[in-house]
Amino acid sequence: MSDIRVSEAAPTSGAPVGRSATRSDARDKVTGKTAYGGDRAVSQECLHAHVLRAAHPHAIVRRIETGPALADPDVVAVFTGKDVPGTNLHGMIRRDQELLATSRVRYCGDAVALVVARTRQAAERASKLVVVDYEPLPGVFTIAEALAPDAAAIHPEGNILGRQRIRKGDALAAMAEADVVVETEFSTQSVDHAFLDTEAGVAYLEGEVLTIEAAGQWVHEEARLLALALGLPFERVRIIQPPTGGAFGGREDLGIQLYLGLAALLTGQRVELAYSRAESMIARHKRHPIHIRYRFGARRDGTLVAAVVEVQADEGAYASTGKAVLRKAASHATGPYRVPNVHVDVTGVFTNNNPTGAMRGFGASQIAIAYEGAMDKLAAALGMDRVELRRRNLLLPGDAVTTSQILPVVSAQECMSAALERIGWEGRSYETPAPHLKRGYGLSVVCFGLGYGDGFPDASRARVRFTDGDRLEVYTGAVEVGQGLVQMAAQVAAQAVGVTIDRVDVILADTARTPEAGSSSATRQTFFTGSAVRKAGVELRHQLLDIVGTLLPVHPDELDLADDACFERADPTRRVPLSAILQEGRRRGYPLEAEAIFEPRTICQDDAGQSVRAFVTYLFASHAAEVLVDVETGEVQVQRIVAVHDLGKAINPLAAEGQIEGGVVQGIGMALMEEVVRQRGRLLNPNFTDYIVPTAMDVPEIIPVILENPDPIGPFGARGVGEPPLIGTPPAILGAIHDAIGVQIGQTPATAERVWRALQQAPGR
Amino acid sequence: MIGSTPEAAGQAERSWSLSFTVNGERHELAIQPERTLLEVLREDLHLTGTKGACLEGECGSCIVLVDGVPQNSCLILAPQMEGREVVTIEGLADGTVLDPVQRAFVDHGAVQCGFCTPGVVLSTKALLAGNPHPTYDEVRRGLEGNICRCTGYMKVLAAALAAARAGVADDASGQADRPRP
Repeated sequence: MSDIRVSEAAPTSGAPVGRSATRSDARDKVTGKTAYGGDRAVSQECLHAHVLRAAHPHAIVRRIETGPALADPDVVAVFTGKDVPGTNLHGMIRRDQELLATSRVRYCGDAVALVVARTRQAAERASKLVVVDYEPLPGVFTIAEALAPDAAAIHPEGNILGRQRIRKGDALAAMAEADVVVETEFSTQSVDHAFLDTEAGVAYLEGEVLTIEAAGQWVHEEARLLALALGLPFERVRIIQPPTGGAFGGREDLGIQLYLGLAALLTGQRVELAYSRAESMIARHKRHPIHIRYRFGARRDGTLVAAVVEVQADEGAYASTGKAVLRKAASHATGPYRVPNVHVDVTGVFTNNNPTGAMRGFGASQIAIAYEGAMDKLAAALGMDRVELRRRNLLLPGDAVTTSQILPVVSAQECMSAALERIGWEGRSYETPAPHLKRGYGLSVVCFGLGYGDGFPDASRARVRFTDGDRLEVYTGAVEVGQGLVQMAAQVAAQAVGVTIDRVDVILADTARTPEAGSSSATRQTFFTGSAVRKAGVELRHQLLDIVGTLLPVHPDELDLADDACFERADPTRRVPLSAILQEGRRRGYPLEAEAIFEPRTICQDDAGQSVRAFVTYLFASHAAEVLVDVETGEVQVQRIVAVHDLGKAINPLAAEGQIEGGVVQGIGMALMEEVVRQRGRLLNPNFTDYIVPTAMDVPEIIPVILENPDPIGPFGARGVGEPPLIGTPPAILGAIHDAIGVQIGQTPATAERVWRALQQAPGR
Repeated sequence: MIGSTPEAAGQAERSWSLSFTVNGERHELAIQPERTLLEVLREDLHLTGTKGACLEGECGSCIVLVDGVPQNSCLILAPQMEGREVVTIEGLADGTVLDPVQRAFVDHGAVQCGFCTPGVVLSTKALLAGNPHPTYDEVRRGLEGNICRCTGYMKVLAAALAAARAGVADDASGQADRPRP
């Protein structure tokens, strides 16, 4: 358990798995050849669509008059909800949102009409001529307003989306008997995914098949949901994922695919649709803003005895993936700490704000701010060192997480040690260049369950085959959104079969060509699709070895396959090149292809939120941050972040580092600057001038450190990487601010103004 | 509008003639004058490597080189390009040989989703043309107009510095001595 491989040493040669290989799609991306969703319509004749969004955050739609818009000679059609041939409903978990609103709008991003015209300008122009007769309703825009006894009901069943609870031991009794109790409160903000590639695509009919080229995160589920909404049999829908400019959870909910599909289906023509940045931000779901009241009870020696956690989450107008986010927040409520008695209540509340759902971190990111903030506060209350307190309570092998699952690999302590060592915690200096600058250091340790978990069906399928040209093709329905799946799949396949990486072509995410792989979300594709590709690859390898058995007078167990050749273990000079094996295989009628499914089971949490296997595996990480705070202005400058992740195995260390660094910078954005601001349900900053994301000037020195304690199930020991780099960053930064100024900031983002105000209100000032 | 004239009267929509060079090739176009350079590059010339992402000059996805200077093409009206030389991402490689900046981005893992990449590569190209041996902080400052949501910038900065070390300034196609704005 001490295999600390520092990232700088990542090998660029050797076996396919573990090599820092350059991405196969990078060349087209640096030359501008890659055609994203918005590039697909440019050189083709097509119609143009535009969506009319709601004029009010909460209103009854009494009547929609399309006549004036249809009078425009360039307008081909104007569709409303009455024209939708299917259920007109969509939603990842609950079908509660209308594709086009027929009777009510619940937030400003609700769609009420779809205009199709001969030019993009005409479609936009005509959408303003659609007359919608609204009866505005009182809106609810905060959790408190939504829970008020006389609150307007947003959905027929009221304003509570759902509750999630954990009851482990007797936390209330244990809390009453604790030597020390600390309580802290945090409010997190609404965060936008802000991927650069705003929603765009084309749709057309291929015979009977409605084909949509637009980016999502799970093409097969999108095809199913779209088929229901538009009243088509599943086999008449084809979704093709174009190369995609980022997702981060923001493409999980269905959106643009529905409007493209409807327009192409009803006009019979090729249609393009592209959202502006403003429409993208107004229509799309957001990260849950949540309010957390967190109490830890401990013995005088620092041993945690209880956690009592109350969470209220703003779900916005529709369910989206909200229930799963709530469950993830609850199941990660005590993070990587050993807490015998846990009491968690999470409540999700509908408002007339943007729906909230998937975003990198998925509830675990918000709750990590709270448990780490509570740990820092507990250390202060006990007069104990922050590191010592964590050391005393971090999980050890054999310990159970919040949901009582006992994990096979627990590297929380090791991650923290590596983070402390790399940032130089022991010898840290508080010197600053000027008296108005204060230096601080923060620390976080987090854990994260991969995959959907909680008994939800979670599987990936993959197919590998040799072409007549001796190329190895990998077919996976998984989407590449920038994270590096395309190269991961190639490296795993190359390793499993025994060929060079350059021989592998990966065919991605097309419901007509690729097997279903589940979503690119939940930090799951390396684990799930990596495993499916490995299984299929191993099967294909067996075919090759079987063939070689007829060419070399050696038992297959004495043979190995690597680098496009089969050779004897005892005498590697005795070898058969791949081309000869494939030629012989074809002659003998071998299929030279294989398909596999990877489908590990999880078990649904019980009424007390307990499950012996809520998630397939957990990943541990630890972040250390160094900041400078200007106490005159409240401005925070992050100077260094060390981010340690136990990935089990980095399939491609260069790509894994890139994921860590990118997640850290999104975490900096969440900690310090990003916030969607609304006034009574209307976005005030749906643009990049006022919605501030980190630039190169905001980026500190980031030191990614990869640990490799192998996962017992994952492909070649790998777990995954996607979300934890973000999750650990805000708590480490907030802890560093706390360390610098002696005040804990209870609201994200910790903008200069908030930090300054907190300083003004600090006792003793 | 520099050097542009309204075209034949009687057309339903006002049309301006625009003559400019893109990636070394001369183009004569009849365009509506309110269209942006970004729109003309993408829709008329089908050069879709130049991306629109915020359309207000904040993110740098649409950056092209205008007479060697990086500019947000979403903020430039196309008629302003009369007589100018524009280089887009499609014009950077020499046939199949990547520009050293492109090569460095591939080799250093500076490309993830790739949507910001054309703009960042061109910003880097211009930065190194004006300052062949930049410090780390000069590179950060030089790329602050380019938002990347995936990489966290570390590998982008490393790639830019590596391209500088590879002597990219030496083959910066005669733009190295041009004054920067």
